[in-house]
Amino acid sequence: MTHEATQITSPPKPSEILLHLGPQHPLQPGPFLLDLKIEGETIREAELKIGYIHKGMEKVFEDRTYLQILPLTDRICYLASNSNNDVYCRGVEELLGIEPTDRAMYLRVITNELCRLQSHLLGIGEFTTDVGFLTMFIYMVREREGVVSLLEAITGSRLNHNYARFGGVANDLPPGYKEMALKTLGELKKQVKSHDAMLSSDSIYLRRTKGVGVLTAKEAGELGVAGPPLRAAGVEYDLRRMEPYLVYDDLDFKVITQTDGDVFARVKVRLLEMLESIYIIEQCLDQMPSGPYKQDVTPYITRPKSGEVYPRIEDPRGEMGMYIISDGSDKPYRFRIRGPAFATAQALPPLLVGTYVADVAAIAASMDSCTSEVDR
Amino acid sequence: MGDEKIDKTIMIELSNTFKDAVSDVDVPSPNRAVARIDPGKVKEIMQFLLDNGFDHLSCISGVDYPPDKIEVVYHVTSYSAPLVITLKASVPRDDPKIDSLCGIYWNANWYERETYELYGIKFTDCPYMKVLLLIDEMEGEWPLRKDYAGYPDLT
Repeated sequence: MTHEATQITSPPKPSEILLHLGPQHPLQPGPFLLDLKIEGETIREAELKIGYIHKGMEKVFEDRTYLQILPLTDRICYLASNSNNDVYCRGVEELLGIEPTDRAMYLRVITNELCRLQSHLLGIGEFTTDVGFLTMFIYMVREREGVVSLLEAITGSRLNHNYARFGGVANDLPPGYKEMALKTLGELKKQVKSHDAMLSSDSIYLRRTKGVGVLTAKEAGELGVAGPPLRAAGVEYDLRRMEPYLVYDDLDFKVITQTDGDVFARVKVRLLEMLESIYIIEQCLDQMPSGPYKQDVTPYITRPKSGEVYPRIEDPRGEMGMYIISDGSDKPYRFRIRGPAFATAQALPPLLVGTYVADVAAIAASMDSCTSEVDR
Repeated sequence: MGDEKIDKTIMIELSNTFKDAVSDVDVPSPNRAVARIDPGKVKEIMQFLLDNGFDHLSCISGVDYPPDKIEVVYHVTSYSAPLVITLKASVPRDDPKIDSLCGIYWNANWYERETYELYGIKFTDCPYMKVLLLIDEMEGEWPLRKDYAGYPDLT
């Protein structure tokens, strides 16, 4: 991989044209500009221009107290809001020297996995629209409705849940939740298997996805991507297993990998990961201890001692890290967000070089990026 | 990638190999290690880490410590082990400059461009050093420095 692949170096020759995809386009939610220099149908050079919804979150966070930041971490990426809450809370807990209660850890795992389910469902739905299967999008959104309702029953909101707290979570499960969850998840498991069978056997879908946009394990490592695109290339890199946080150590689950590293494999990884997430939630509902869901004294005004932490989490899209430096005051001195979508977006232009224009939508959507988090 | 075990012993090797360039080595928790490095030696140190299995550059960030220094912070880790090494290089605030890592870790490119536009740290030999997230007019504003007063509202 050379750096020449990430930018358009020269004006187009007479045989080439410059094609602007974006900033508004149907590839993915959120604006970004993808410039392609094409010759006939083949992409010679590609350049991604981001920053259209740059919010300066890192600067904003330096001017908010630790508790005020908590709801803002939802807004980094609304599809991964529980993961973002959780990784931020673990960072602050480490600075404060406290731990969440046992029950809270299970509750956080449940919401994290529900979050992964709804993110993957929407990600696959958008992807299938881009390769011409609008019906599958409708199915996926129908399935997602059930998952979002499960999240709503716990957290009270359908997006931007703001559920984790320092040392615990905001509230306990509502009565009768276990039965409701098992019923919905049982249905979902059947539906996911049926959609997987449908997608794996449709000849048009296979031709659009098999062998397209191949990212080998070596290239993916060099490009610094993580999450489903890396696991689709056969690398077993999952922070839930590698650096177990919360109670993932006590839970049984497989790290899903594929070997081909193409568009088909990336979607397949997400489909199979959903089944694992359902299995994890079922185990949590069974094993969950009773007890308090938060510490007796929840620190509202927090002044952690000086220090720095770098907690990481397996986000639906990959490796999410937050580098928090505390100087002993009630606001962080520096707050760095290392998002998975930023790393994935950077790897997109080299992946597009040499492919056909018709495959751009499929490749871009299969990376499942999130512009809100890329720009922050 | 080598076959050797990727663990904290790398910090001892690192400080033995680069005696003058690595200082303040600390291991705050089982999966984290911190060290301070000489900004002039950053390329050699990163190449050494890459050769020893640390094949994943997780993040590059800047931290402003007015009035005299800015820190460039590197988080380096591996695809096969959970250890994250945090390396900090201090550069002078009036002329912040450090070698680019683009030739060693491919994905350093965007992180360096982001750090450049927010802090004004110049990464020498970075192949495309221009603003990434901000508008072109904001080059030279360095908004994440602590003394930044705000960009004029042009709307």
